[in-house]
Amino acid sequence: MAETQQMKKFKTPSKGTPKAKHPISIDHHIAPQTPQSATPSAINLRRSHRLTAAFPEHRPAISSFNTHQSAAKTRKIFENPPLVLPTEISITPASPPPVESRKKRKFHEKSAEKSKDSRNVKYKHAADRKVKKKVYYKKVVYDGGEFSAGHDVYVKRRSDASSDDEDPEVEECRVCFKPAGRRVLIECDDCLNGFHLKCLKPPLKAVPDGDWVCCYCVARKNGEVMEFPEPQAGKKRARTAREKLLSSDLWAARIESLWKEVDGTYWFRARWYIIPEETAVGRQPHNLRRELYRTNDFADVEMESIIRHCFVMSPREFANAADGGDDVFLCEYEYEVQWHSFKRIAEIDNNENDGERVVDNDADWNSCDEFDSGSDFDSEEEAAYEDKKRNRLSQLSSLRPVAANSRKGQIFGLQKIGAKKIPENLRSRKQTDLEKAKSTLLLATLPKSLPCRDREMIEITTFIKGAICDEQCLGRCLYVHGVPGTGKTMSVLAVMRNLKSEVDAGSIRPYCFVEINGLKLASPENIYSVIYEGLTGHRVGWKKALNLLNARFSDENKCRKDTRPCILLIDELDLLVTRNQAVLYNILDWPTRPNSKLIVIGIANTMDLPEKLLPRISSRMGIQRLCFGPYNFQQLQEIISSRLKGIDAFEKVAIEFASRKVAAVSGDARRALEICRRAAEFLQNRKVMAGMADVEAAIKEMFQAPHIQLAMAVSSFCANNGETFPGYDTLLKVGCKLGECRLLLCESGTRHKLQKLQLNYPNDDVTFALKDSKELPWLAKYI
Amino acid sequence: MPSRHSFPAALSICKLQYNSSFSLSIEQLHSQFLQPFSIYTASVSNPGTDMPAFSARRHSPSSDPTSETRVAVTPRKSRLRSDPDAAIASPLRKSPRLCKEGSPNSSPKIEVIRKCLKSSLNLSGSPEKKQLSEDFVERQTWDPREETQLRAVNEALHLSTAPPNVVCRENEKNQILDFCSKCVKEEKAGSLYVCGCPGTGKTLSMEKVKVMLVDWANKEGVQPPDVLSINCTTLANMSEIFSKVSSEIVFSTFTWHEDDVSVILVVADELDYLITKDRSVLHDLFMLTTMPFSRCILLGVANAIDLADMFIPKLQSLNCKPMVITFCAYSKDQIINILQERLKALPYTVFQPQALELCARKVAAASGDMRKALAVCRSAIEMLIGESMLSSVDGTEDQQKPAANNMTSNQVRIHHVAAALSKVYKSPVVDTIISLPQHQQIILCSAVKLFREGKKGTTLGELNKYYVDVCKSTMIPPVGILELSSMCRVLDDQGILKLGQSREDKLRRVTLNVDGADIVFALQGVRFFRNCLK
Repeated sequence: MAETQQMKKFKTPSKGTPKAKHPISIDHHIAPQTPQSATPSAINLRRSHRLTAAFPEHRPAISSFNTHQSAAKTRKIFENPPLVLPTEISITPASPPPVESRKKRKFHEKSAEKSKDSRNVKYKHAADRKVKKKVYYKKVVYDGGEFSAGHDVYVKRRSDASSDDEDPEVEECRVCFKPAGRRVLIECDDCLNGFHLKCLKPPLKAVPDGDWVCCYCVARKNGEVMEFPEPQAGKKRARTAREKLLSSDLWAARIESLWKEVDGTYWFRARWYIIPEETAVGRQPHNLRRELYRTNDFADVEMESIIRHCFVMSPREFANAADGGDDVFLCEYEYEVQWHSFKRIAEIDNNENDGERVVDNDADWNSCDEFDSGSDFDSEEEAAYEDKKRNRLSQLSSLRPVAANSRKGQIFGLQKIGAKKIPENLRSRKQTDLEKAKSTLLLATLPKSLPCRDREMIEITTFIKGAICDEQCLGRCLYVHGVPGTGKTMSVLAVMRNLKSEVDAGSIRPYCFVEINGLKLASPENIYSVIYEGLTGHRVGWKKALNLLNARFSDENKCRKDTRPCILLIDELDLLVTRNQAVLYNILDWPTRPNSKLIVIGIANTMDLPEKLLPRISSRMGIQRLCFGPYNFQQLQEIISSRLKGIDAFEKVAIEFASRKVAAVSGDARRALEICRRAAEFLQNRKVMAGMADVEAAIKEMFQAPHIQLAMAVSSFCANNGETFPGYDTLLKVGCKLGECRLLLCESGTRHKLQKLQLNYPNDDVTFALKDSKELPWLAKYI
Repeated sequence: MPSRHSFPAALSICKLQYNSSFSLSIEQLHSQFLQPFSIYTASVSNPGTDMPAFSARRHSPSSDPTSETRVAVTPRKSRLRSDPDAAIASPLRKSPRLCKEGSPNSSPKIEVIRKCLKSSLNLSGSPEKKQLSEDFVERQTWDPREETQLRAVNEALHLSTAPPNVVCRENEKNQILDFCSKCVKEEKAGSLYVCGCPGTGKTLSMEKVKVMLVDWANKEGVQPPDVLSINCTTLANMSEIFSKVSSEIVFSTFTWHEDDVSVILVVADELDYLITKDRSVLHDLFMLTTMPFSRCILLGVANAIDLADMFIPKLQSLNCKPMVITFCAYSKDQIINILQERLKALPYTVFQPQALELCARKVAAASGDMRKALAVCRSAIEMLIGESMLSSVDGTEDQQKPAANNMTSNQVRIHHVAAALSKVYKSPVVDTIISLPQHQQIILCSAVKLFREGKKGTTLGELNKYYVDVCKSTMIPPVGILELSSMCRVLDDQGILKLGQSREDKLRRVTLNVDGADIVFALQGVRFFRNCLK
């Protein structure tokens, strides 16, 4: 069954003729091996018009392209070797054979002659001899199809196995119910049905450019009734996999990882795609017919339930794949199943995928070949080696069973974009304490706990819970303010994470959460479209979004589908202040409307922002304020030591020194962490704990104004100014250098000797910097 | 000839519905109001041979959309906040009245509470306290720990729940209503400008007036006016207001009978957002009411008293000086009145009368903003809940509390309100200064010293000199000027200092934003600063 599909879809003229593949020496337990195992992206796929008849006459494979029977025939033609044939016959395409025979994976036996062909048939070694453990694979040949992490596949629905019996067929013309054959099928962009050019009324001569809609859809749009012709009695219209997927009889998933279980069955970790109808908001008018959403929902699925490949593309790729096959889909957004929110898949992500795919196609293959051919003298030993390596990999990855799932909860801010982690097991050596300390002290690292902000977090929690636990959910507004680096955003996000886990546990009702950073908006008005996109997944212009949001938050009688409360977190609220402050007015006016169910949390540095605003806005803002004061030194000390818990890299005194220094100036936790990290960098190679001296050096580097450091550096540059006068040229050069560093302020260079110079910094500072210079001891007496 | 003239006008108004452009719409509105309606509609009524498109428009099924949109427009009236029917009809909202009358799950609980209370009273066995309890039994006691009751109270005090009748604004309401009804009766245009501080019930009264006006028209048998409410902040572009008005006109002219064309009531909230550089939008809007055959009543709502004055010289010459009605800030008695009106719906006493009065007095003295008063009440309730939670955690077995205390402890008392008020009105300056890092305190200290000499402001460079002096006097290593300027920026963010704009960091102007005495007071606890400021 799957082979036929493979044959149909993956046939490419670019690959060698099928017969050329046959010299491969095939082991006797090779399962039905179809000769064509081309990688999917290399295939000449079609979408909009199916140029199936365009293939040259002389290829026998083409005739097998569409019907089941002919496909079986061609298989016979291809699989000449007599020793394969018996097994082949025993396997009927419709009923899946016993697991053992189909799933054997083989060594790739090498011979110098067939090195060219080796890329076509590739067997993976199954490490089933010595160790009974999960074995992870990068690529698996299964059922004649080749699957690797990152591929997209159709997956059977377990619940109704019967629907899988009639295997997704070759697409037929919707009018004459004959397969495409030689003739061209054209696809309607609305109902996605295929039509022979001749079957249309009036018949088309050629495939038109641009979008084409069939006469049935046109008629339906005009309000007329025009039925599709019924198939002959007793014959059921075959549905393609695409049709089944879009009517949710099938599923699509992306393979995240592949492995073999202890009992010899093959599994993969699937990341599900869903069709727009399956989201909370349903299909929207802007959804394309072939649009899918990627979810953050994972499941472990046995490989047996894979049907075949499909191709889910980013919009850009999709646009280029004009004549791809029938199994091409578009995916632009990721759908959070917990929050029912949409997130545009970052461009970076796509590029990564592209890169991976390219590597899969060429580089990886080649490297595999080289690797294999280099070690073909003893395949057994090689196997053992590979075996061991894989086991280690699998052990390492099985140490962290959560890791594959770790993207699940990450919905907040930057972590989302940086979702791709460098796997731990790539590092060969164990991290030293110092390295660990450095990495935990990074600002980007999310600490396990947030000490010293318990009171504030309780207050935020009660604020949000008080609003969303109510039935009627009265709107309210909270303003959080405090100096930079005091954990404002982090505390709010931590509260939201806790609440989300409570939602998962089912103790509170679900809500939607939209997080916006004022700095990331192109203009304050854009916030409307960002909010609207976060709530519904549509992307509209801000004017339209404003109208829609107004309607959403003010209409109490209109039963809206989405009755969940909505929490809006706006970071850097002060950047939304426009000249007439209309944006802030609107956002803060919504919670005061009846039945709006909107909770606004604004974060900013300014303490007196509400007083600076127009009185009508501060009147709507309410009186709920929360102040995050600067940390004192005990708190900073606690924060640093809680991050460094279990890591023996810093002396206690050193931490206290750093936190005292920071607390005296700004109380900014970020700065304290940076100082400690810098101190850890200073003692790079020494095998001691970071002490006072390192912290001192780091503080000096951070707090000392740069011009003092510069003057120290420049003083050595000036050292050649000994007793002898170097002449005007040198002096001028020195002056220019100093001017470039902005130590001196100079006039423009055209005036040459008459340039006026001025010291840019206070005399005291220069004196201080030059006092201790060793090269010029005499300089001190001038000062 | 006017009938010929009106055809392109009508057509372009039709077009306006679909692609409304500013210049066109103003022109059309003008021409609309310049011509008598009867002529215009007469041309509509007898479709001549020279206007096939127009007649087709009237009779083809495509006129359905207009009636549909018409339907979409009219519910606005029934969707008004203060409409009591809507409040009861909507299943999601549970109005406090409903709770009182027929909520089956709340009354038994109240009964139980009452029983508990009585038994506890009996235990204490003091006769005059029993007397007291009898007074309270009619107004049942309120238990803040009870979910449904708390919810009802919170909803009654929330901004989004409009009280069924607006008290304390009867005068203003009647004035507006009289004005509108006079205009409707005489079928003439007029403009009215309502101004007042935020939170004085302007928008609420306007909503009430709109309902009352329709009621009045129905009673009198006059054609009720079309109501169009616009909040000007929600307009993406100032001139969008004209397209909204014109679409309303198109609806009314196409869907009503020709002889009685209804008056349009335009309510523009936050009118001052329409002020553009040349003030043309606002001017044109008022001009709509001066056209000879205009039937547009314009009600503008805004905060500024002098908004209408800006136009008076120009508008007076055109004889369309808008009538101005001012909503004064609420006085103490009015705030008490409104709060009691809102709480009347509840079957239990929540606030002690003194507590309400304190809240009202404070708010009235500060701003007279009703929203603030409601917010204070809600946060006072939160404090009471927090307290009761604490007490229930601390001593659940603490039963020997006097019963009378138990009685009043379920009400919001004066100290709760005082605490809530202090959250709103207390200046946080002193606390902020005390919690500042030392170096920032030193900066403030040196700034105070600097300004003692009679100066009003200084530059950052000079402040740095003073700061270094202060630091040196106590052997504290000073920080560099860059660090200093970033600290000053933080202080500016907190509203303690004020930094001017300058290209050079050193030349930025620094002034104190708080009173120097506050700083001295806040810093007097530290001996170093005390000595320094002597």
